[in-house]
Amino acid sequence: MIEKGKISGSQMAIMMNPAIFATVLLLVPAITAKHAKQDMWLSPIWSSLMGFLAVFLAYKLNKIYPRNTLIEYCELILGKVLGKILGALYLFFYFHITGIIVREYGEFVSGTFLPHTPMLFIFGTMILVCSFAVYGGLEVIGRCSEMIVPVVLFLYLVIFIMLLKDLDIRNMFPLMANGLAPSIKGSIVPQSWFSEYILIAFFLPYLTNREKGLKWGLISVASVMFFIVLTNFTSLLLFGNLTSTLTYPVMIATQYISIAEFLEHLEAIVMAIWVAGTFIKITVFYYALTLGTAQWLKLSDFRPLVFPIGFLLISFGAWSAPSLQELSHFLSTSAPFYLLSLQIIVPFILLIIALIRNKFLRKKETATG
Amino acid sequence: MSNESLQTIKKILALVFINIMVLLLSGCWDRKEVNDLGLVTAAGIDKISDKTIELSVLLYIPKSAGSGQSMNGGSEVGDAQTLVRSAKGVTIAEAMSKLQEKLPRHIFWGHTEVFIFNEKLAKKGLLKHVDFIIRHPQLRERSQLFISKQKAKEVLSLLPPLERDLAAVLRELESLKVGMEVTVKDFALMVLSESGDSAVPWIKMLPPEGGKKKKETIAYIAGTAIFQKDKMVGKIDDSITRGVLWLRNDIRLATVTVKPKGANGYVSLSLQNASSKLIPKVDNGKWKVLLKANAEADIVQNTTQLDMTNIEVIKNLQHQLKKEVENRVKLALVHVQKDMKADIFGFGDTFNRKYPDLWKRDKYRWNEIFPNIEVTIDLDIKIRRQGMNSVLSAIIPEEVKQK
Repeated sequence: MIEKGKISGSQMAIMMNPAIFATVLLLVPAITAKHAKQDMWLSPIWSSLMGFLAVFLAYKLNKIYPRNTLIEYCELILGKVLGKILGALYLFFYFHITGIIVREYGEFVSGTFLPHTPMLFIFGTMILVCSFAVYGGLEVIGRCSEMIVPVVLFLYLVIFIMLLKDLDIRNMFPLMANGLAPSIKGSIVPQSWFSEYILIAFFLPYLTNREKGLKWGLISVASVMFFIVLTNFTSLLLFGNLTSTLTYPVMIATQYISIAEFLEHLEAIVMAIWVAGTFIKITVFYYALTLGTAQWLKLSDFRPLVFPIGFLLISFGAWSAPSLQELSHFLSTSAPFYLLSLQIIVPFILLIIALIRNKFLRKKETATG
Repeated sequence: MSNESLQTIKKILALVFINIMVLLLSGCWDRKEVNDLGLVTAAGIDKISDKTIELSVLLYIPKSAGSGQSMNGGSEVGDAQTLVRSAKGVTIAEAMSKLQEKLPRHIFWGHTEVFIFNEKLAKKGLLKHVDFIIRHPQLRERSQLFISKQKAKEVLSLLPPLERDLAAVLRELESLKVGMEVTVKDFALMVLSESGDSAVPWIKMLPPEGGKKKKETIAYIAGTAIFQKDKMVGKIDDSITRGVLWLRNDIRLATVTVKPKGANGYVSLSLQNASSKLIPKVDNGKWKVLLKANAEADIVQNTTQLDMTNIEVIKNLQHQLKKEVENRVKLALVHVQKDMKADIFGFGDTFNRKYPDLWKRDKYRWNEIFPNIEVTIDLDIKIRRQGMNSVLSAIIPEEVKQK
């Protein structure tokens, strides 16, 4: 095995939380609100089903191939040629997705805080920091997130608590005026985020307590669901119909905080949450990509690949979208199909093939034996 | 040996790297020093012609503590503390860029707390200007909106005797909650609500006291400007605004004076813990709204000879208090619902919440329905405390008689 480190199930759960949540926080409430209107708080609950499914698929596949990651068992399941092709597809996919994440990070920071700083510089520095973490390996990433994530989530809750007095519960009603359809429609975009949970296929082989992988995976999905519901609730009860017209509802909500005309101007907290959260998110994706590439090329170590891939990620970040509108359009239209097909449907097919193959092999074994 | 030299090389590399980091971290493209910023505390927008507007900003001038006085030889109060600059343009953003030409400091919007729009501009529609406020990353959705009778530029250039500048005056007035409190977010939310009508506090200049200079006064919240969608259609004065506050559940503080039946004089009561709720109902195609409100009252002054410890007297007083509040609400309804036909109370939203299907069907004729909605008022006001004395004014006249 290339990766010699081990992480615990709880570490995996903690590091997957911002790996999904960090980018949902900004663009997704507005996209959900467009479809679901006052039922937007329901949408994450529907979409989390996709997250549970992804964790389940990754766990099942891992049960069959306990020591291999997604890229490796593509080959074991589909054979050498097809497996390599699918593996390459996955690697390109993760390149693209990580590029998009990097871009979202850059768009937000330059759009709200540093309008004059070149975006390449903004995400270049981020990638540099992430590459150190990736270079350190899985254990380092696990411990980093154990340190950072609780702080991030705590700060996030603080924002929510400080907004409590401005929330208006009436914005929630009428409940489900048009039935369940709008909230399910609104759940499609977050679904693609939740499907990213298939990423745990890269971490399950390195768990110290693998039998607990499923449990911690599900806990992690539930925690993400909780925070997205909270996010949507906050923006809905604060902004009502206005939510869908805002670009970054959470950001504006934080600007809205004013306690005793003294505790104001707290956007810096969002910035801190955002930078720390995306750091984990990019690192997790970056790590999976690097490890996958090394496994695909059958290298003995993934470390020499870290910096070259980081360099490529910077360019992917720059190329992934010409503008924020295009990015947002991509995320709300084609991205769900793109992400769901590669992160849910393909693993599902892989699992079925693997199950059939195993049965077939076992029969053969019993027949010969 | 080789191991050792490798370690020194590593150490040197680490040092070089840390130094490079320091260079990168020290400055970024968006560095702005405080002494390069012009902090805008309030902005006013006036109409110049059909297309052009004038943007005026009130800039905060940091006082160099203590030293300024001796240099200027005792300048007048408030003289050097505010600065108003203005520029014309088609949009706020354009006017702002022109304004920047006349200002040596970088305009910083992050501390803008007050926006004043002139009446004439408000009649043309506010939303296109509010768009700038929401879109600009520095501006806050909590900024307060006001509509002014006089030109916003004149209002901004007032020199308030008590507060630092006009932005502070208006903010303090608003925090007393005597009138409506409308932030940019509230306004946008009202315009996007089911009925789309909105209301914004309306300010006018207080005539200066005798002997003071013309500018040494403030602007105060004199009423409420009523909007159909985002266009101003009329205004109501402060006493009618009280009624509107009851309907919007915005009432926090109120003093009501009633004249008890058969008594000589008045009783003033202050209301606390007031809250109200709108309950919509559709009966045989008739649209009705029930205003359910409750409050507690304290007696603050009694100029009658009634004994405020007497339960019967209190009951009577309670009844009259209800009547008084009811009249306020009715007055507001007559002006706003019947005359201006603007749903600033959120009736449309309450109907949508309770009868979503009916609302979807009949929304298109809301303009006909709204003025004919029957409003019933159900008040529950309890007099809790009688203040620090019971019948002081009832005793004094007798003493006078004895003399």
